[in-house]
This record gives sequence, C-alpha cells and structure tokens, in this order.
Amino acid sequence: MVFTIDADIHVNDTPGKLAPYCEMPWRKSLELLDGGSYPYLQIPGFAPNLRQDPPIAGSPPYRSVETAADMRRELNELDIEVGILFPDHLLLFATLPNREYATALAHAYNRWLAEEWLQEDNGLFGVVLASPQNPEDSANEIRKYAKNDRIVGVYLPTAGVHPLWGDRKYDPIFSAAQEADLPVCLHSVTITTPQFPYQLDQFENHFARQVLSHAFAMMANLTSIMHTGVPARYPKLKVVFTEAGIAWVPYMMWRMDKYYNEYRRHVPFLDRRPSEYMRERMWFATQPVEEPDDPSQLVETIHQIGDDRIIFASDWPHHDFDHPKAILKLPMSQDLKRAVMGLNALSAFPRIPVPVAAE
Amino acid sequence: MAEHVIGTIADFPVGSSTVVKIRTIEIGVFNVAGTLYALPNICPHQYGPLCTGGVNGTMVSGPDTDWQLEWGREGEILTCPWHGIEFDITTGQALANPRFKVRQYPISVVDDKVTITLGS
Repeated sequence: MVFTIDADIHVNDTPGKLAPYCEMPWRKSLELLDGGSYPYLQIPGFAPNLRQDPPIAGSPPYRSVETAADMRRELNELDIEVGILFPDHLLLFATLPNREYATALAHAYNRWLAEEWLQEDNGLFGVVLASPQNPEDSANEIRKYAKNDRIVGVYLPTAGVHPLWGDRKYDPIFSAAQEADLPVCLHSVTITTPQFPYQLDQFENHFARQVLSHAFAMMANLTSIMHTGVPARYPKLKVVFTEAGIAWVPYMMWRMDKYYNEYRRHVPFLDRRPSEYMRERMWFATQPVEEPDDPSQLVETIHQIGDDRIIFASDWPHHDFDHPKAILKLPMSQDLKRAVMGLNALSAFPRIPVPVAAE
Repeated sequence: MAEHVIGTIADFPVGSSTVVKIRTIEIGVFNVAGTLYALPNICPHQYGPLCTGGVNGTMVSGPDTDWQLEWGREGEILTCPWHGIEFDITTGQALANPRFKVRQYPISVVDDKVTITLGS
C-alpha cells in the first residue's frame, strides 16, 4: 500500500456547531441560523450563495462528515492515512461583508477545529482559517495556532475573495505564514457573483459553473500573487492550490512566462520566471483530477508541472471526490506514485510527521 | 575570420545605436558609456529586428529598493521593437528568460577605426 496524505478533506461546519465557540454578540447570530434547512453550501449570512436556477432531480445526495471519529473511519476505508481538513460552508467565507462578524466567525471555526477535530493523534491535521476581511487579526490567529502542532497550514478562502489574494493588504497574512513555516492553501468553491471569478452568474446550470469556477479562481489568484511579487517578497512562503485539478497549471506556467518575457519591467521584483517560483515553492493538489481518454497524457502533464509539485487530494466527502485509485491506476512509476500520494505533501506541509512507513 | 572596418569612433558616440550591414549580416552597434558592443539584429524570440528597438533603462525592484519600483540601468537595456523583450546590451542576455541570449561580435577600436570580426 502506498502511504497517502490527502491534502483536502472537509468537515461539516454548521452554524449550530460553531455557535458555542463564537464570541458575543455574533454567537446570537449563529444561534438564529442554527437548525435551518438549506441547500448544499447555501446559508444566507453564513455561506452566501446565489443560484437562481432550479435544482435538477437525480443528483446524488450531498455527503458530510460530522465527527473526527467518523472521518477517521471513512478515510480508513479509502486507504488514506493522513488528511488535511478544510471547511464545508466556510469555503464561501470570503464573501461575508461584515468584518467584525467575519473575524468572530474565523475565531470560532479555528477554535472548533482545534477542539473537536485535532485533539487526537489520528492522522487528521488542520489549516487555520485566515480571514481576508481582517488580515491583521488573521496574522494573530496564525501566530496563535502555529503553536498547535496539528495545525499544518493556513487556509486562504478563495471563492469570491475581493480583492484577490495578491493585494498588499494581505501582506500580514503571508508574513505570519512564512514566519511560522506554514504553507498558505488556496481553496475555492463554486460561487455565483458577478465579480468573481468572471461573470459565472450568467450560466444557467451547474455544469458550466463547475467547469470554470475553481480553475478560474486559482488562475486569477495565482496571477494576483505573482503580479505583486508575493513569492519574491516572501522567499520562504509555500503555496498550495487545491480543488482545481492540475491541467491548468502548465497553461499558466507557459502563459505567465510568455508575458514575463514581454512585461518584465512591470514586475521587476520577480527575479525569475513565474514558472520557476511555481516549481520551487508551490504545490498543486490533484482533485478533481482530469480524466483524459489516454491517461498517459495526464502523466505527461504531471511531468510538465514537475513530479515533485503534485499532491494527492480526495475532497472527501464532497460529490466530486477522487478515490486514491484515480491516481494509483495511472501509468506511472511506483516512485512517482509514492511521491504524488504522500511524499510530496511532506515537503509542502513540513509539520506533518514523516511516518515510519514512508521513510 | 575576417575583420571589417565599419567606420570611425566618431560615427558611434556614447549612447548611440546603429545598425550596420556586413555582407548579409545586420549588426547593431551600441556605445554604452564609452564601450562598444555589437549584437546581431535578430531577436531569438521570434526573429524581430532587435537592434532597431530603443536603448533605455528599465524598472528595477528588490530588497535593495524595499520592493519599490525604481528606474535603473539607464542606457544599458535594448528593447526589441516587436514584443518588448529586454536585453542587457553588455552581456546579450535577456532579462526575463535565460533561454534568450544573443551573441556578441568582437568589436574593437584601433587608430579611431572601428572593426568587427566575423567568423570567429
């Protein structure tokens, strides 16, 4: 069996569960939101979403995982030893307009995560939520939770973030993450706003949104952090991109390098080509992995990005999760399988202890 | 190896850029702060007329400038007129891409006569 680290699994963070961990007065708001019946990832005032098209019958039911023990049991069934926890509903966190509320909610999520999910030595690790609404406070949260050895990264809510993550207002977050040697992890989700990433509100069904939203979110934010020189200004910062597949990465490497040739004078703080920063300190999680008819084309894509850049993620328990076998069945060497399934993630997340089996 | 006299030093004053033709070869001649450089007039990117672009400085930034943008390297940077790719005249190296480097022809001044050596 190949030692497996899953860079992206999801815990069910409902308003009712976070309420006891939330500061007043916002605990009252979470209590009011508790118990409502809402569609998947759509809770006004908590997980803002705006989908105007009707539901379509026949879709599989949504899955969620409620406890650490359940998560451990389900990951065992998937042959996954280590999992890195991201939220469900707070994937939409960046669109919350109220700064004080967002700050309290970030505190509540981080407390709840540490208390309810990261107490045992069970292969589950967390990423501390950084609120784009309050970067200074997020830097404090990063410093605080860096003392918790089961926190292995910083979650940057990416769906709907405005301005994009390259804006200099976020420098305190990157600075604190670099200082703590915690990778920043961009995670998006399908979202419907006129601004982000690009007018996906015009699509009339979910096929179209799903195709473009995650990849556009990552492309826009990668471009954003590159164009303000984040990887140059924070020369030890690690960056992880989750839930957008990987085939967009060679395109962005080629495209940014091409325009770096022509517009280097606009970004003179980049002293190397963008692709070189990407191959040095950025990692790309596989899920939802592309499935070309000829799987060797996907392996070639991995080679193009870099065999050491790709990390496995399942997105369990979400509807478009990838089973580890989606990677293990690819025509690639055993060494590359071991790298993608677990060893590369040990480089991206240096706090995850190296298991005996992987040495 | 053949030496070709392309003019006198007075023809290539400081700051000048000139394209000369030797047989069928077009060569850009640059006088950067009193030193002459000779580069092929063809961009390794898409074969644009590199040496007809302007000589300029460029934006610089880094820890030394506290990440602010500053103007620097005035008179040392050649910009291809097609896609704007910048080259360091003194080395032939593109600033943005290690794969793009143009050769430098040997150029010398003897008794005020400027000579380029080809075929070396």
